[in-house]
Amino acid sequence: MITLNDIKRMLQEQGYIADDTVAMSVFLSLQLNKPLLIEGPAGVGKTEIAKVMAKALNTDLIRLQCYEGLDANHALYEWNYQRQLLHLKMVEHNSQPLEEKEKTIFNDSFLMKRPLLQAITHDKKPVLLIDEIDRSDEEFESFLLEVLSDWQITIPETGTIKASFIPQVILTGNRTRELSDALRRRCMYLYIDYPDFNKEWQVVKTRVPEIDAKLAEQITRFMQELRLIKLEKVPGLSETLDWAMALSSLHIDHLDKLIIEQTLGLVIKDWRDSRLVQLSLSELLEKTGVISKVESL
Amino acid sequence: MISRLGSISANIVQFCRFLRTRGYTIGTEEEITSLNALHHIDLANPDEFLLAMKATLCKSKKQLNEFDELFFTYWKELKKAVDSKLKEEKTLKKNAASPNEQFKSLSSWLKGNQNNETLETASYSSFESLSRKDFSTVPDDEIDELMKCMKSLSRQLAARVKRRYEKTSNRNLPDLRLTLRKNLRRGGELMDIVYRKPKKNRVKIVILCDVSRSMELYSAFLLQFMYAFQKVYSRVETFAFSTSLVRITSMMKENNFRDVLEILSKESSGWHGGTRIGESLETFSREYAEKLLDRKTIVIILSDGWDTGDIEMLRRNMENIHNRAAKLIWLNPLAGYEAFQPEVSGIKVAMPFIDVFAPAHNAASLRKIFQLGVANLKKS
Repeated sequence: MITLNDIKRMLQEQGYIADDTVAMSVFLSLQLNKPLLIEGPAGVGKTEIAKVMAKALNTDLIRLQCYEGLDANHALYEWNYQRQLLHLKMVEHNSQPLEEKEKTIFNDSFLMKRPLLQAITHDKKPVLLIDEIDRSDEEFESFLLEVLSDWQITIPETGTIKASFIPQVILTGNRTRELSDALRRRCMYLYIDYPDFNKEWQVVKTRVPEIDAKLAEQITRFMQELRLIKLEKVPGLSETLDWAMALSSLHIDHLDKLIIEQTLGLVIKDWRDSRLVQLSLSELLEKTGVISKVESL
Repeated sequence: MISRLGSISANIVQFCRFLRTRGYTIGTEEEITSLNALHHIDLANPDEFLLAMKATLCKSKKQLNEFDELFFTYWKELKKAVDSKLKEEKTLKKNAASPNEQFKSLSSWLKGNQNNETLETASYSSFESLSRKDFSTVPDDEIDELMKCMKSLSRQLAARVKRRYEKTSNRNLPDLRLTLRKNLRRGGELMDIVYRKPKKNRVKIVILCDVSRSMELYSAFLLQFMYAFQKVYSRVETFAFSTSLVRITSMMKENNFRDVLEILSKESSGWHGGTRIGESLETFSREYAEKLLDRKTIVIILSDGWDTGDIEMLRRNMENIHNRAAKLIWLNPLAGYEAFQPEVSGIKVAMPFIDVFAPAHNAASLRKIFQLGVANLKKS
């Protein structure tokens, strides 16, 4: 029997700093065996939750990356046509009756399993991550609804496969498109926002343990201020971590204007934003206390 | 013990009803989920109880944000007395938000902003026959009708699946003709199978809305128009311009009208200031055109063409956009008046590059344009 505290501990052990809301949602979605829909801006650790969950449960992570135009075939299974044809060619002059031949080419070895079928036929309860569901078409979303409620798939040539273990499902979305109410209602919902100073600082220290304490604080402050500017692409937690890792591996122990200018590309990924940030860099640095500190030295 | 649990679950069901009046989509399934969740948490811990309710009953970011307050209101009321709670609930029901509530409040808010100035200028439209109301005087119930109209129009536009087929790597339908042709050189042995799928209509729309002073009467409505459009058609990029250009797509998508208006008013002379269409379009061509425009994109400019900027610049950029986009549509609210002649210098130079020039001063005119637009697109 897993308790809420176990979940908190597991998340922590995997280096994921979770607040109570996140822990409770993960806990209940495990206990009630319900899919968990996670929304939030890019780079705040939505996908990470699934990875951590798989590790914590000591099971496999099966990932289905959604994109516009993704359809059922790509998510479920495909027959390996070329292999089937080759096989038929080889048994062409065989005296085997036709039905037999047919049977042999429609078996598992010619079946290419795609993520959803993999998840259903997995030999222990896997974590199924359906990433960026809002990028897929509405048609696919309704198809997914069907799979998520029945957990069985019918392959016309071989029959119906029922899941022996119902996968733990995590769906993530960026809110590029409103998801249907039907899908929302089937899931538990969690919204992860940009982290506050304390959380971000903790994450930096946990994930980049070798970082200088002062640098970690400065980076976090800088990022917090940066998110207040109206940017096209607001940097997330993953950008903070990239930056922290880069600076710490350069053995830098404090921020200054030059370093920020040189490494800004790790944080800002849009040229308009980068121009905007460069223009307001001095102001930003003052707010984060970097400049006044430097000057007082 | 049993009776105590029973009362908790009854209260939760009651709480769910309360949430329903506040626009939460909670059915029996959600109620069951939340009741089931009780088995797994420490009921003595109020924080855990709140978190569990939150995790099981909320289905969107907005609901998550409101939940804490509603939760405390409800359980506080419950503590007071049972009778007063029932009364409370009745009054709350009246406040239940209808789906268009936001839309209406936006409209009244926007109108409130215009105060007495509206009265003076609105006389212009009162010359017009009463049957065709100007947008600036659209009452709330007509906005509903307008929303409906816009929805059906954009749905037509969004009708994505065409009847023609295109090649694909998805293993849907084999394309027999292409397959045979491709495998001829193998003596007809079908090794590579080519697939096809229904062609999709990937029309994108870019809307550039003029929010300068001369457009003041209309910009409130036009922002609503862009909002409604974005609600039903996802491939829309929206910009607002007066003296400079601001991209408002993401704000509109998140229903952040306050942010939109704030940004627009920050552009000191911007929101309801003079217009420099040429320069705004220049910014657009320079910074966004390459990324956003292609032969499947329709550009819609909503403006009256009163330009106080560089006319040559306007011409150059209209040409550029015209060359890059599938269609360039200019909607002019003033064009609805009979006395209107495209005499405004801005429109004059832009005219040769406009595919569709149409009035946009009331719902009927918009409907016409979109029928036209859809028909044109289907042809191309």
